[in-house]
Amino acid sequence: MTAIYKKELRSMFTNMSGAIAIAVMLLVTGLMFRFYNLHNGVLTLHYTVSNSALVFYIVIPVLSMRSFAEERRQKTDQLLLTAPVGLLRIVLGKYLAIVTVFAIPVLVMCTYPLIMLSFGPETLLWDYTCLLAFFFMGCAYLSVGMFISSCTESPVIAAILTILFVFATQMLSSIFTMISGTALTAMLFLTALSVLISLLVYMMTGHYALSMIVLAGLGAACIAGYVLRPDLFSGRTESVLRILDFSTHFSDFAGGVFAIPNLMFFLSYAAVGVLLTIQSLDKRRWS
Amino acid sequence: MIQVRHLTKLYGDFAAVKDISFEIEDGTICGFLGPNGAGKSTTLNILTGYTAPTEGEVLIDGRDILKEAEEARRSTGFLPEIPPVYPDLTVYEYLSFAAQLKGIKKREREEEVRFRMEQLNLTEVKDRLIRNLSKGFRQRVGFAGALLGDPGVLILDEPMAGLDPKQILETRELIRSLKNDHTVILSSHILSEVSEICDRVLIISEGEIVAADTPEHLESASGAGTVLCITASGSLDRVLSAVRTVTEVREDNVTESESGVQVRVRLRDGEDLRLRLSEALFAAGCPILEMKQEKADLENIFLMLTDETGSGNSLQEDGAGSGSSQEETGGGSGQEETGAQKAAAADRGEERP
Repeated sequence: MTAIYKKELRSMFTNMSGAIAIAVMLLVTGLMFRFYNLHNGVLTLHYTVSNSALVFYIVIPVLSMRSFAEERRQKTDQLLLTAPVGLLRIVLGKYLAIVTVFAIPVLVMCTYPLIMLSFGPETLLWDYTCLLAFFFMGCAYLSVGMFISSCTESPVIAAILTILFVFATQMLSSIFTMISGTALTAMLFLTALSVLISLLVYMMTGHYALSMIVLAGLGAACIAGYVLRPDLFSGRTESVLRILDFSTHFSDFAGGVFAIPNLMFFLSYAAVGVLLTIQSLDKRRWS
Repeated sequence: MIQVRHLTKLYGDFAAVKDISFEIEDGTICGFLGPNGAGKSTTLNILTGYTAPTEGEVLIDGRDILKEAEEARRSTGFLPEIPPVYPDLTVYEYLSFAAQLKGIKKREREEEVRFRMEQLNLTEVKDRLIRNLSKGFRQRVGFAGALLGDPGVLILDEPMAGLDPKQILETRELIRSLKNDHTVILSSHILSEVSEICDRVLIISEGEIVAADTPEHLESASGAGTVLCITASGSLDRVLSAVRTVTEVREDNVTESESGVQVRVRLRDGEDLRLRLSEALFAAGCPILEMKQEKADLENIFLMLTDETGSGNSLQEDGAGSGSSQEETGGGSGQEETGAQKAAAADRGEERP
């Protein structure tokens, strides 16, 4: 694992992606810091960090897109996957290397609260909570980005899909007001979700009958539930979509509320991303 | 020792490899031959655990490549068709990385990398980025990577591709020198490479093994033997009847062209009919324009086994009508195939414990 970690870290600086990511992050967060805190005298880092989330559109794809797609394109995955190293260690090595590069500008950002100490009341705890939220959200995104990269052979496609994912998860909270909360919409939404899940089952297992059983079961449950207890369904669309809602979890967290569920939200995304990457690599072996 | 049992690999409905089984003993260099797309790389990828078979199993030194993956892979060195080198690393960095991946301890790592670089003449380029190296050098870097840690089993997918003649000679020598304490399987579609260094040859065509034997056995047991090729002037009937007074010959082995009638006579071992045939033909008023003996080499056997319709068949020469020539090879290949398959079966039977 350390071998992969070190090699990955080194190649991220020889091929510029690491340097670009760090530069972009420092530039954007530095400007935000200058604008909100130094110029307009905001006493906490809350606004700075929240608005800096913009950099994820660039930094996440730049750091994660190459991780596995490039290996596959250059056929170097043949070295990794035939070496006496388990998939978990390969994936973790790569993931930790990406996270390390991402952590460098975050560490630099950790000096901002210290600078602010010189002009006023201390909000250190809040500021560092903000930065922690920022860091964990980045880790969650990087993990998903790595998974997306492991699904394709083209870093460009990986980058585009990753940007779409960041966009969806950032914008979701602003479209919640537009989603109807009625039980009928929820039922239709959940049924559509069942179709998606069964499709996913079919793609993962190649088992037609199994996916049909899954579809029939979930679909029947949705419709039966709607007929019997429609009240259970109202507002469910939103609660399901909350799974993808990074920005609300982030702003709660960055608002100074160090709530375990928010922390767990990002950590579980990171863990699921790593596990799915392992699955994706393993599945390619069998396909 | 490599044991392969009933390997099948399906890509969708397409069977890239169909139920193949073979064993390769320790200390053997085995050539894995086949035309492009025959399933060579697929099979080798399965042997290394890079791809998993749809059915069947692979044992490296008795360990299953998927179930006991780490142990089995530790004793395997793999050089894929495209060397798996990172362009943004230098040769030295790449080899140290590969050595770490193979779990070579820090103390021995430097020594091992240095030794492999010397072995493959890479020392002079050790600090250059792989990006800037030629295909031949990359191939050697990949080869050095496969040799790191001295694995007992080496799986080389087209190790000579992209090398210049001198490098081919060196690589061949290197592979030969590995023979004593390694099991080597190397794929190729160039026969001269294989027949010179391999103890055994597996010929694969359309996902099936069509022959498995030593190069020498294949040459003699294939029944192709020596072919006497005679061109005589005169009508087809007269030439044919004159030849038939001496030996059996099938109609489809006789072709007529502008340059004369061409007859191909298969000779049994040690048989020499040249004198009797020339006398018979001369007596029948069909003077001989050309007579030559062709020895069926591995090249011909390979083409017969892998290329049933074989328009580019090397047996076809001297402007012979392509139609009849195709028939000839078609018929020939049927015989050869069964012969070689029998040989293959016998081979496997003997080796099975």
